[in-house]
Amino acid sequence: MKEILSRFLYSNRKFLPLWSTAFLAIAAYAIGAYFFIGMRNPQVFFNMFRNSSYLLISAVGMTFVILTGGIDLSVSGVVALTTVASAVLLRDGWNPWGVILLMLAMGMTLGAIMGGFITYLKVQPFIATLAGMWFARGMCFFISDDAVTINDNLFQILGRTKVLIPGLMELAVRQGKQPPYISIPVVVGFVLLAVAIYIAHFTRFGRTVYAIGGNEGRNEQSARLMGLPVNRTKMLVYTFNGFCSALAGLALSLFVYSGHGLYASGFELDVIASVVMGGTMLSGGAGYVFGTFFGVMVLAVTQALIQFIGSLSSWWTKIVIGVLTLTFIGVQSILANRKSRRKGAQPEQALIASRRKWQRFAIGFGLLIVLALALIFTYARFAPVSPAATTENTQCDVKPFREDEAASLIKEGAVIVYHRTAGPQCVDELFAIYPDGRITGFDGVNKVEKQLPPEGVASLLTAISVDHKWFTDEIYSTYLNPCRQCFAHYILVSYEGQEKSATGVDGTTAMPPDYAFALATIRPLLPSFNP
Amino acid sequence: MNNSFKSFKWKKITESRLFFPIFALLLILLFDFIFIPGFFSIENREGNLHGSLIDIFRNGSTVMLLAIGMTLVIATGGVDLSVGAVMAIAASVAGIMMNPSALKNEVFFVTDPNFTFQPLWMVIISALLVAILCGMWNGMLVAYVRIQPMVATLILMIAGRGIAQLVTNGLRVQITYKLFTLLGQGWFILPFSLYIVAIVFTLTWIMTRKTAIGMFIESVGINFKSSFFSGIDEKKIKFLVYTFCGLCAGIAGLVASSNIKTSDANNIGLTTELDAILAVVIGGTAMSGGRFSLLASMIGALVMQAVTQSMYAIGVPAFALQAIKALVVIFVIMLYSRQVRGFVAWIGSPKRGV
Amino acid sequence: MSDSNQNILIMEGISKAFPGVQALEDVSLTLRKGEILCLVGENGAGKSTLMKALTGVDRPDSGKIFLEGREVQAKSPQHAQSLGISTVYQEINLCPNLTVAENIILGYEPYKFGRIDWAKMNALAKDTLQRLLGVDIDVTQPLGSFTVAIQQMVAIARALYVSTAKILILDEPTSSLDVNETAQLFKVMRKLKDDGVGIIFITHFIGQVFEISDRITVLRNGNLVGTYETASITRVGLISNMIGRSLAEFDEMSKIKLESSKHIKPEALLQARGFGLTGVINPFDLDLHSGEVVGLAGLLGSGRTEAASLLFGVEKADTGSITLNGIVIVDHSPLGSIRRGVALCPEDRKAAGIVDDLSVRENIILAAQASQGWFKFMSLQQQYEIADKYIKLLNIATPSADQLVKNLSGGNQQKVILARWLATNPLVLILDEPTRGIDVGTKAEIQKLVLSLAEDGKACVFISSELEEVLRTSHRVVVLREHEKVAEFSGEVDENTIIHTIAGSES
Repeated sequence: MKEILSRFLYSNRKFLPLWSTAFLAIAAYAIGAYFFIGMRNPQVFFNMFRNSSYLLISAVGMTFVILTGGIDLSVSGVVALTTVASAVLLRDGWNPWGVILLMLAMGMTLGAIMGGFITYLKVQPFIATLAGMWFARGMCFFISDDAVTINDNLFQILGRTKVLIPGLMELAVRQGKQPPYISIPVVVGFVLLAVAIYIAHFTRFGRTVYAIGGNEGRNEQSARLMGLPVNRTKMLVYTFNGFCSALAGLALSLFVYSGHGLYASGFELDVIASVVMGGTMLSGGAGYVFGTFFGVMVLAVTQALIQFIGSLSSWWTKIVIGVLTLTFIGVQSILANRKSRRKGAQPEQALIASRRKWQRFAIGFGLLIVLALALIFTYARFAPVSPAATTENTQCDVKPFREDEAASLIKEGAVIVYHRTAGPQCVDELFAIYPDGRITGFDGVNKVEKQLPPEGVASLLTAISVDHKWFTDEIYSTYLNPCRQCFAHYILVSYEGQEKSATGVDGTTAMPPDYAFALATIRPLLPSFNP
Repeated sequence: MNNSFKSFKWKKITESRLFFPIFALLLILLFDFIFIPGFFSIENREGNLHGSLIDIFRNGSTVMLLAIGMTLVIATGGVDLSVGAVMAIAASVAGIMMNPSALKNEVFFVTDPNFTFQPLWMVIISALLVAILCGMWNGMLVAYVRIQPMVATLILMIAGRGIAQLVTNGLRVQITYKLFTLLGQGWFILPFSLYIVAIVFTLTWIMTRKTAIGMFIESVGINFKSSFFSGIDEKKIKFLVYTFCGLCAGIAGLVASSNIKTSDANNIGLTTELDAILAVVIGGTAMSGGRFSLLASMIGALVMQAVTQSMYAIGVPAFALQAIKALVVIFVIMLYSRQVRGFVAWIGSPKRGV
Repeated sequence: MSDSNQNILIMEGISKAFPGVQALEDVSLTLRKGEILCLVGENGAGKSTLMKALTGVDRPDSGKIFLEGREVQAKSPQHAQSLGISTVYQEINLCPNLTVAENIILGYEPYKFGRIDWAKMNALAKDTLQRLLGVDIDVTQPLGSFTVAIQQMVAIARALYVSTAKILILDEPTSSLDVNETAQLFKVMRKLKDDGVGIIFITHFIGQVFEISDRITVLRNGNLVGTYETASITRVGLISNMIGRSLAEFDEMSKIKLESSKHIKPEALLQARGFGLTGVINPFDLDLHSGEVVGLAGLLGSGRTEAASLLFGVEKADTGSITLNGIVIVDHSPLGSIRRGVALCPEDRKAAGIVDDLSVRENIILAAQASQGWFKFMSLQQQYEIADKYIKLLNIATPSADQLVKNLSGGNQQKVILARWLATNPLVLILDEPTRGIDVGTKAEIQKLVLSLAEDGKACVFISSELEEVLRTSHRVVVLREHEKVAEFSGEVDENTIIHTIAGSES
C-alpha cells in the first residue's frame, strides 16, 4: 500500500506542494463547516473570495517575481498608495476611469523603477523593493494625513455589483434562498489568474521567467548563455507586479471605500505566504501560478475560521500563517539541500533514495498538517474568552471600550456613538451624534459640541446603514493591539430600531467590510478637543 | 616594531571604509547647522546634558545595538530578519517577569514604582536568555540545517511576534518598575542607553578584534571553502554570530520597552530590522559578506537617525519620513553599487604602466 | 573519411598573457571538416585559454583565426554560436528546472495563434534528438531528472538546433560519464562527424583519445608541442609529449637530492593502510618518512588530488586507517590535521586557497591561527613577524604585508598559500600542484624549497602534472592510474619507466 502511494506521489511529485495546499484549504473549511453552522451558508463561502480578491490579484504578480528568484516587498506600500491617491483624486473630481488608468500606470512605473535598480544596478531585490515600500508609504502621507472616503458613483457600482454565479443561481431560487454572489474584483482576480497561467505556460516571456530562477543564480547565467532576454524579462516582471499591486489597491478601494496610508500593513507577508504555500519555491524556478490560488485560499479560510471562532484575537491568524509558511519553506529548503548534495551519487541509487525520501516526505507532511489543524481547533473549542481590551500605562493607553455608556447614550436618543482610543496622542474620546444634528464629545475631562444640519445626520445614517449595508449578517469584529500611531475604534449605530456595533483598529487588513467606510465618513465630522 | 606595523596604523585611519559613512554624517550635520537653528545647542539640566544632538544618540541607540549584531551576521554572508521580533519577545518576557498578572487574565494595576515581581537582575537575565535562545534557533537553522539565512530568519520574524503575544497572553504589559525604566530613560550626564551601547560595542570589539573570531568571520564571509581548508569551522562561526545577534536584539528590546514603558508585542522593533540592515550597508559592509567594521555600522545607524531627527526638526510629518528614508537608501545604494564605484575608481585611478 | 583536406578552422600564432603568466605562446591549431580533433595537455597547458580565444570569451593578444577561410573574431559566446562555433561545457549550462524540449528550443519556439505550440515544440525536440544524435527520451520531463550523460546530449542538441554548427567544442564531456554513456556519446560524435561537423574534443582520458580521435594536438605550458595523426602515434609517445622531456637543471637538483636522501628517517611518520573512499579512490597503502619527498605521478583524473584530500581529512575515508607517529587518527578533519601537524596546500588556489579580500599577513597566519583556536589570538606584532619572515623566505613580491591578496600575481598568491602552510610548522606537508600557472624561475625556487623542507625533517608529498618536476624533486615516486595506486619507485628511476607505468600495459 505504502509502495503504491509513494510511487503515485513520486510520479506526480511536481504537483505535490500544490495538492497539499489545496487539501489543506479544503480540509480546513470542511472542518470549520462541521463546527460552525454559519460556515455552511454558501454565501459565507463566496464571501471568502470577495474578502481576499485583492490578495489574489497581488499574489499573482508576486508569483512571477518569486519565480525569477527575486522578491518584492513594496506591494503593501503600492496598495496603500493606490487607495489614498485614488480616493483623493476622486474627491477632487477626476474622472473615475481616468483615475483607474492612472493608478495602474503609477503602479507600473514604480515597478519599472525598482526593476531597473535590480536588473541594471544589480541592487539586491530585498533592499530595492524595501526602499520602494517606504517610499510609497511615505508618499501616502504627503497626499493625505487622514483617511479619505470614496463616494464616487462608478466605484460604488464596481464594488457593489453582485455577480451571480450561473449554475448556483437557479439552484438557490428553486430552494427559495438568496442566490449567492461574488463581486467584480473577484472576477477580475480570476481573469488575471487565467491570463497569468497562460503567460506562464504559453509565452516565451513566461518560460524565460522560469529559466531565470532557481539553482542559486546559475540558471540566470545559463539563460543568458542560451541567448534569452534575461534583463528585459526581469524588468517586465517587476513592472507587471507593480501593475498587480496597483490593481490590488483598486480592488481594496472597492472593498473599503476609502484610502489611508495605514492600510495593508503587513500585507506583503501575506502575499509571500500565499505564493510559497502555492508551491512556488522562494529560490525561484519552480512552482505553479495556479498553486498561488490555493495559497490565497488557505489564508482566506484561516481568516474566516478565526472570525467565526470570534474569541481569538487576530494575531492568531499571524501565528497560523507563520507556522504554515514555516513548514512549507523549511521543507522546501531541506529537500533542495538534500537534492544538491546527492548529485554525485549513482543515478540508480539516487532514484531509489529519492523515492524513499518522497515516502518520508508524504508521511511527515501529512502528520504536520493534521497536527496544525488539531492545534487550531483544540484551542478554539477550549480557549477561554479573553477580554477584548488591554489596560493601563502612564504613557499610552488603550482604554476599554465604553460599551455600556454608548448603549445608554443610544437610549437617550443618539443614533451613532463613536469611541476612539490610543493614537499618537493617546486619546479616549467618546462622541455621540443625534438626529437633530448635534454632536457631543467627552474625553473624560472636557466636553465639546458641534452642530450639523439635521439632514446631514440623516444622510450619514442612510449611507452607513442602507447604502453600505451596515445591518447585514456580514459584520464581524476583529481586534488587534493598535500600532503607536493607530487608533482603536468602536462604533455603535442605531437605525430603525436595530443596533449594530463593530470594533476595529487602524492599519490592518482584517477590517470588517464597510466599517472602514463608516469610519472614514464619521471622523471628519467630529469636533476636535484641541482649541 | 617594524615598518609594516607603523604604516598599518596610519592606513587604518584613512581607510575608505570609515571615510564614506563619516562623510555622510558630517554632510547631514552640516545641513542641520545651516537650516535648523539651535540644533547643536546642548543645555545642562541638573548636571545632565540635553539637546538635539544628544537625542540623535539616544533615539538611535536601539538601532545601534541591533547594528552591532547585524554587522557580524552580514559579514558571514547572511542576514537576520528576525531581530525586531526578538526585541518584542525579550520585552514581553521582561514585562511578564515584572508583572505576571497578565497571565491570569487579570488586570493588575501597579502604581508603586518600586514594585516588581522578580528582581531586576532576574528580569534582565531571563529576557536575555530567551533572546539568546532565539539566536541559537536561527543559528541552528542556518549553520546546521543549511537553510538560506533570509528564509530561516523570516520564519522567526513572522512567528516571533505571535510568540511575544503568547508570552503576555495578548495583553500589553505596563512597565512601572523604576529601575528598569532607567535603561531607556535614565540619564547620567549622558543618556543611560548610550552607556549600554558603548559597553556592548566595546565587548563586541574585544571579541572580534582581540580574538581570532573577527578574522574568522571575515574569512568565512569571503571564501568559506578556503576557510574550511585552513581549518576554520564555518558552522561554529555562523552559529555564534546568529546567537550573538539574538543577544543584541534582546538588549535592544529591553532598552526600547523601557523607553515606552510597555512591552508592546505588536510594535516594538517594527521595521527596525530594516533600519539595522541599512545601517550596516551604509557602513560599507557588503551584503555578500567579508570585511566588516563595527564602528562604520554605528556611524551608519547614526546617519539614519540623524536624517530622521533632522526631518522631524524641520517639521516633516512622521510617515512622510519613510519616503525620505527610502531616498537616502537609494542614494547610498547607488553610491555603493559596483557600477558607480567602478566609474569613480576609473576616474580617480592613476594610469599605471604594467 | 570526408574531404580531409578541407580545413574548416585555422588558428594561427595565438598568444595570450595574464599578469605574471604567459598562458599561450604562438599556438596554432587546424581543424578539418568532418574530423574529430583531440586537444590534450595537463593543467596549465593552455587548452581552456585557447578555446576561450576561439569562442570569444577572452580575446587573444595576437594571432588570427580563420573560419572556412574567412578571418573572424568572436566577440561573445553568443556571437561565436551565431558564427557556427558551439561549445558544450562540463558544467552543463542549461536550466535543469525546464523540460528537455524547452532547453533545446527555448528562444526559438514555434508559435500558434500567439501562444507556444507545445506539441510542435516537443515534436521538434524529439526529432532533433533522434535525428542528429540518435537519442530517444521523453522530452517533456524536466532536464534535471536525467543523468548528466543525457543532459550533455541535450546540450549538444541545443547547440546544433540553434544554429548550424560547423564546429562543436566538447570540453571534458566524459568526466561524469560511465562506460556505456561514453560509448553512446562517441556514437553521437561519429554521426556528427559523418555529417561534416568539425569536433574539438578536450579530454584527459588517454584511452578515449585513441578511441575516437582522428588527430591530436598537444599543448604544454602554453606552447604547442605538436599535432599528430592518431593512427601514427603510440600511447607512450603521446604521454611523453604531454608531460615528459626535461628542460634543464637536472644535474644540480639530483645532487641536492642525493645529499638530502641521507636524512631520511627509516621509520614511517605517517602510514596509510587500505585507505580509500568508495567511488573516489581505491584503497591504497602509503608510507611517509620524515626527511623524504614522495612524488605522486599520474595523469589528471588519476586520483592524485583525491588521495591528497583524503590524507588531509577533507573527506572521510570509508575503508582503511591512517596513523601518525603510531597513533591512529580517528576524527579526521582539516582542523584536526593541522593541529596534528599535517598540512595540505590545495590544487585550486582560487577556490580553496586564497581568501582574496584579506591581506597577505592575514592569509599567511590563517591556518596557524585556526589551529590555535578562537581565543589564543596572535598579537599583531607576532603576526607581522611571521608574515615578514615568510615574505622574505619565499621572496613574495608585495608592497607590504597589508596588500590584499587578490592584487598579487598568481605566482605570488601561490607563495602566500605555501607560506600559510609553512607557518603551521607541519610534520607532513602535502603540496598539490604548487607550481601550476607559475613562471619558470619561481617554479625552480619552489622545487628547491621543497627539498630543503625535507632536509629540515618534514615529510613532503609533491603532486604535479609535470613529470620532470616530480622526478627532480622526489626521493620516491608513487604512480596513480584511474583512481588506483599502481606502482611505487624509489631511488633513481627513469622517466620512461614512469611514463610506461602511467600508460598501462599497452605500449
